Amino acid sequence: MTATDGITLRVTDLKKYYGKVHAVDGISFAIPSSSVFTILGPNGAGKTTTLEILEGIRVPDAGEIEVFGVRVKQINREVKKRLGVLLQDGNFEPYLKVKEVVKLFASFFPIALPVEEVLRRVALQEKGSAYIRTLSGGQRQRLAVGVALVNDPDLIFLDEPTTGLDPQARRNMWSVITNLKEQRKTIILTTHYMEEAEVLSDYVCIMDNGMIIAEGTPRELAARLGQETIIEFSGGSIDAEWLDQLSSYGKGVRKDGEIVYVETEDFVQTMEQMLAWSREKGIPLENMVVRQPNLEDVFLSLTGRKLRE
Amino acid sequence: MKGILRVAEAHLRTALREKITLFWFLIFPLFLLAILTLIFGNMGTEGEISFAIAVVNLETDTAGPVDFAGIIEGVFEQAGKPSEEGKEPLFAISSPASGEALEDFLASEKKATRFGDRAAVIVIPEGFNQCLLHRMMEDGPSSSANCSLAIYVNEGSAASGMATSIIDQILAGVERDLLTRMGRFQEQKAIPTETLWVGSSGTEVRYVDFLLPGIVLMGFFVNGLFGVPGSILFARDKRVLRRYWVTPLTVTHYLAGFSVGHLMLCLVQFALLLLLGRFAFGATVTFFQPMSILFLLLAAITFLAFGFFVASVAKTANTGMAIANILNMPMMFLGGLFFPVTGLPLVLKAIVFLNPLTYLAKGLRVSVGTEAGTLSVSIIAVPLVWIAVCVAVASWRLSWDVER
Repeated sequence: MTATDGITLRVTDLKKYYGKVHAVDGISFAIPSSSVFTILGPNGAGKTTTLEILEGIRVPDAGEIEVFGVRVKQINREVKKRLGVLLQDGNFEPYLKVKEVVKLFASFFPIALPVEEVLRRVALQEKGSAYIRTLSGGQRQRLAVGVALVNDPDLIFLDEPTTGLDPQARRNMWSVITNLKEQRKTIILTTHYMEEAEVLSDYVCIMDNGMIIAEGTPRELAARLGQETIIEFSGGSIDAEWLDQLSSYGKGVRKDGEIVYVETEDFVQTMEQMLAWSREKGIPLENMVVRQPNLEDVFLSLTGRKLRE
Repeated sequence: MKGILRVAEAHLRTALREKITLFWFLIFPLFLLAILTLIFGNMGTEGEISFAIAVVNLETDTAGPVDFAGIIEGVFEQAGKPSEEGKEPLFAISSPASGEALEDFLASEKKATRFGDRAAVIVIPEGFNQCLLHRMMEDGPSSSANCSLAIYVNEGSAASGMATSIIDQILAGVERDLLTRMGRFQEQKAIPTETLWVGSSGTEVRYVDFLLPGIVLMGFFVNGLFGVPGSILFARDKRVLRRYWVTPLTVTHYLAGFSVGHLMLCLVQFALLLLLGRFAFGATVTFFQPMSILFLLLAAITFLAFGFFVASVAKTANTGMAIANILNMPMMFLGGLFFPVTGLPLVLKAIVFLNPLTYLAKGLRVSVGTEAGTLSVSIIAVPLVWIAVCVAVASWRLSWDVER
């Protein structure tokens, strides 16, 4: 059975409480088929709990789940046959070989891809006979993606697939996810890298404290900040007094480490004022970047906090 | 079904590839079998028990018709020689050093006996030949001569007691032989005896045959007690199991696969122990009969259930190993695996009584014929009760995912 209205997964008023902690507090969303839906949020926002419920690891306290057009109380065995799951913190038996792991997981599904095909999809053909314990972090993560794809799933969960990977391994993982997009798989992704969400996602929902605080395409979310422009420069020597002066040139100013951010709705005027201020004070505006707002800025404007705080 | 077999295969492969597992489940039982058999394997066989004694012949009159003193001295000298090449003699006879006075030798041997270095010192007195001849010919000792052999022993020494008994038997045999040769032995006056055999040489249960079933059970026990919670709790704590739970594999499927893998590991263990026992230590005990196979299977399942129990009461893999260690020693040594368990204080008797190993060891040994007795209902019922209790506790308490 498939979704009849183009929606692969619909969640309504989903709740999961651990004592007084509201890990998931009444969230609702719908994921169109063949799209990448990203749940963005800081650690502890409720992303992983939401995914664990939708993967069938946890049972929700309340709410409705409709998957592949069927309403279920919790994810059951029949649904799992069509899911592919990359867990955030899953591991493999270190004394098994790569091929053995793929064969093992393939045996759990009624229909599975050939082992060689799975390894090809995640570029691990050369490592088929290697023990798990000898793989690098990136190779293990690719294997985990391969295992998630072993049943050629209709709905794929990727829970923080690039966390802990080096930049090269992260790019490789993006390439794997892009390939899945091209195969028109429905993907649910969680991440706290806004760049990753922007590059890979069709839809984004931002979670904080167990609730969804914003939802839409990356472009729609960024548009919430209006016609703002962000001017960034390296300003390690800028103190609070100078930040006050800069704030009068734009809509808002903040400093994060060495970087100073100036938000403005009138880029030309703000830029002229800042250059004049720079000449007068003798402070160079090094490494200056002018850009449009991104999801990080959206999150900041909604919560007053950075995603990775 | 395919998934169950793959889980079994994965469990077996993991166990056989992990060095620490391999050591405790396979190498250690093999090592223990080798060590215990080498230490205790020859106990009770011919020639192994040997007594250090001395024979001091003070008789100087050897010119008479019969040198009884010389004959007795010769008999003991003979007993001091090995009956077959490579066998220990019954007695290790010490002799005076060249030129050493007999009185000095006697004094030093008595001292050695007092300190436990000699089991006995036999002294043939002067005038013994004449006295004994007179006694044998005239039915009574001469009043003036000394016909008694003096045997000095250490009262507190078990070796002295055993040596005295053997010396008495040898002397009785010598006397009977001498009287027969002299035509003075009256058969009808001797106490009639009849020798009845309950076995012939080689049919007694050898230690390795007694030990091998115990070592097999120990292997199963260690495998279950440590291997099962170790594997499950490690897989749970390291989030290996989580990956299974997001697939259609259910806990029941996983348990079935894990159990099959565990039984396969027990089979490998059993085969290796059997081969070593048979070809390295000459064990002849055979397990290939229905009751023995039943007990082997019952043992493997009992300890598998025990492992589930330990996994269910431990929060982490480390706690599981600690609990297993606490249970290991008392259960193993009070289960009669290596030695018969008898004459224990009440508390230890209770452990023996409740210990499933006691019943499984008894059942397996009776079924393979290395222990006397019958297979009562309790021998099977007690392990079955343990299985039921352990499985019930595990079903109730065992958590299959990390706690949040």
